[in-house]
Amino acid sequence: MSAAATAPTATSSTSAASRGILLMLLLPGLVALVITFLLPLIWLLRASFTSSTMSAFGGGDLTTQSYSTVLFDPFYWRVTWNTLVLGFNVAIFAVVLSYPIALFLARTESRFRGVLTALAVAPLLTSSVVRTYGWMVILGDRGVINSTLQSLSVTSGVIKLTNNSFGATVALIEILMPYAILAMLSGFGRLNAQLEEAAAMLGANRFKVFTRIILPLSLPGVLTAALLVFVLAISSFVTPRLMGGGRVFVLGTEVFNEATVTLNWPLAAALSVMLLVLFSSIILLYQRALRALEA
Amino acid sequence: MADHHVIIDNLVKTYPGAQKPSVDHVSFSLPRGEMLALLGPSGCGKTTILRMIAGLIAPTSGAIRLDGEDVSSIAVYKRNMGMVFQAYALFPHMTIARNISFGLEMRKVGRAEREERVRKALDLVKLTGLGDRKVSQLSGGQQQRAAIARSLVIEPELLLLDEPLSNLDAKLRDEMRDEIRDIQARTGVTAIFVTHDQDEALSMADRLAVMSAGRLEQIGTPREIFDRPQTEFVASFIGAGTVFEGKVTEHGLAMVEDLKELRFVGDAPLGSPVKLMIRPHRLRLLTDAGQPNRFSGTVEHIVYRGQTLTLNVRCGSRLLQADLPTHAGMLPERGSTVTLSVAPEDVTLVGQVSP
Repeated sequence: MSAAATAPTATSSTSAASRGILLMLLLPGLVALVITFLLPLIWLLRASFTSSTMSAFGGGDLTTQSYSTVLFDPFYWRVTWNTLVLGFNVAIFAVVLSYPIALFLARTESRFRGVLTALAVAPLLTSSVVRTYGWMVILGDRGVINSTLQSLSVTSGVIKLTNNSFGATVALIEILMPYAILAMLSGFGRLNAQLEEAAAMLGANRFKVFTRIILPLSLPGVLTAALLVFVLAISSFVTPRLMGGGRVFVLGTEVFNEATVTLNWPLAAALSVMLLVLFSSIILLYQRALRALEA
Repeated sequence: MADHHVIIDNLVKTYPGAQKPSVDHVSFSLPRGEMLALLGPSGCGKTTILRMIAGLIAPTSGAIRLDGEDVSSIAVYKRNMGMVFQAYALFPHMTIARNISFGLEMRKVGRAEREERVRKALDLVKLTGLGDRKVSQLSGGQQQRAAIARSLVIEPELLLLDEPLSNLDAKLRDEMRDEIRDIQARTGVTAIFVTHDQDEALSMADRLAVMSAGRLEQIGTPREIFDRPQTEFVASFIGAGTVFEGKVTEHGLAMVEDLKELRFVGDAPLGSPVKLMIRPHRLRLLTDAGQPNRFSGTVEHIVYRGQTLTLNVRCGSRLLQADLPTHAGMLPERGSTVTLSVAPEDVTLVGQVSP
């Protein structure tokens, strides 16, 4: 509390000289960002306006040809819609499933809390490709679930769990859950055992404590987690590609297809810009919501 | 005793895996409208008692009676007690008015009555018109007031305060001390507060319960605790002083080590061992001869504190601390010999003397 009170006076007394030093310290990072982020982005924009008949970044006349393809071909509307649906489904389920885990980790007084937190995010240590293959072993046509159901004679045929968007969604939910847990843990700063005790002293039972205190105070964390998972899901490529078996079309897989299979780099660039626009609008919505929550 | 409003009966709390109980057979009671301070060093079990009364932790054994009824098995949210937490625990996502109204909402009080009672509660703690503020827009003292209003608006059976003043700065602390006392007197609520600060306890409470290592050492009025400490712990915890052990040789006179003889007021049978305590501010520099309880010694250390002068005087093997009023011409030097005296009625007899 006292640190927060003294911080503004400290910055206001910052002299011009130390502001110069601050700028100097920022410079290497800024330069790195311009080279690795801003310039490629400009290049991408430029590429999206080149003609598809031209060689990749060969220059030539500017054309909006790729954009008219993206905007007027119903196929790409479907792809965009698929991507959004996948993102929402994955975000909702990953958040709902991670919420109890994150809440437990944030509230527990166990001395194993550190170990449990590490365990919860340990899947991040494995490549998502490996984990996707793991899900293929579980959900595949001759995978764990199907062979068990068949040997128990519950089903005679194969239940299609992979090579469709269901498989991609399930795998993405599990793969992105550690991110959701981490985001929520860092967003649960306002939760505090004493607030729950205070509510209980005022006559709130456990259900009321949850709905009136814990849930509202954890919403910023939930929102951050949902945003993170959504963004990671709509930009994912490996999992939809492998679990979808080439039958799930989302923006990530389409960018890859256009860039490596069709070799239509301008179209791939235009699709990437679409994805970027989606990201930006979602982040804008998120900031609106967060401000509304904290007001 | 039996008709007291709150009765704590042989309360014990042993945490799982702990060797010794944190609270060890503690019993005390409060008449309606009394303010009791649970005083003791950190880790003495005072907060554990408060939390058991509140229902936030379950006692290992013992009873908590409110108007004769044992509430120790009643869930915390049904106990109807108000609690003011050390860090206030105001809900950050609600306005001050919503914070205060929360307990009433839980009790399904109608909207109009709720608003009326919230307004009255805000008036009571002098936060009139600040109901729409957010918690973060209030100062520490105002947050404290809001927390008190929130716990009183539900008209609790018992008000519990956990270190209520420890998060405030010194000036505000004095102000809130009077304020809390005043609010408690006006509402007539029975109150128990926990503190480690003896000044706070002496100035706010009707009675003090002094605790040490899970046990209740003594319970009594501030005066009783200060002037008739029952144990050496109480004597040394409340106020400073030097304790001398000795033996009663005649009525009101004891032979003690280092000071030879010490006169005191109090009943102690001949030949019994006694503990006598001399408090620093009760010593005087000897002006006229012929007074009892005179001790000469060498000044070892002097601290000038403005209003008082603290001398450490070596008498035999003991250091006697004396807080003397400062006035012109009264500045003994280090190394000089002074003669101190204390009136027999100002010598504190520690503990009950067994015949």
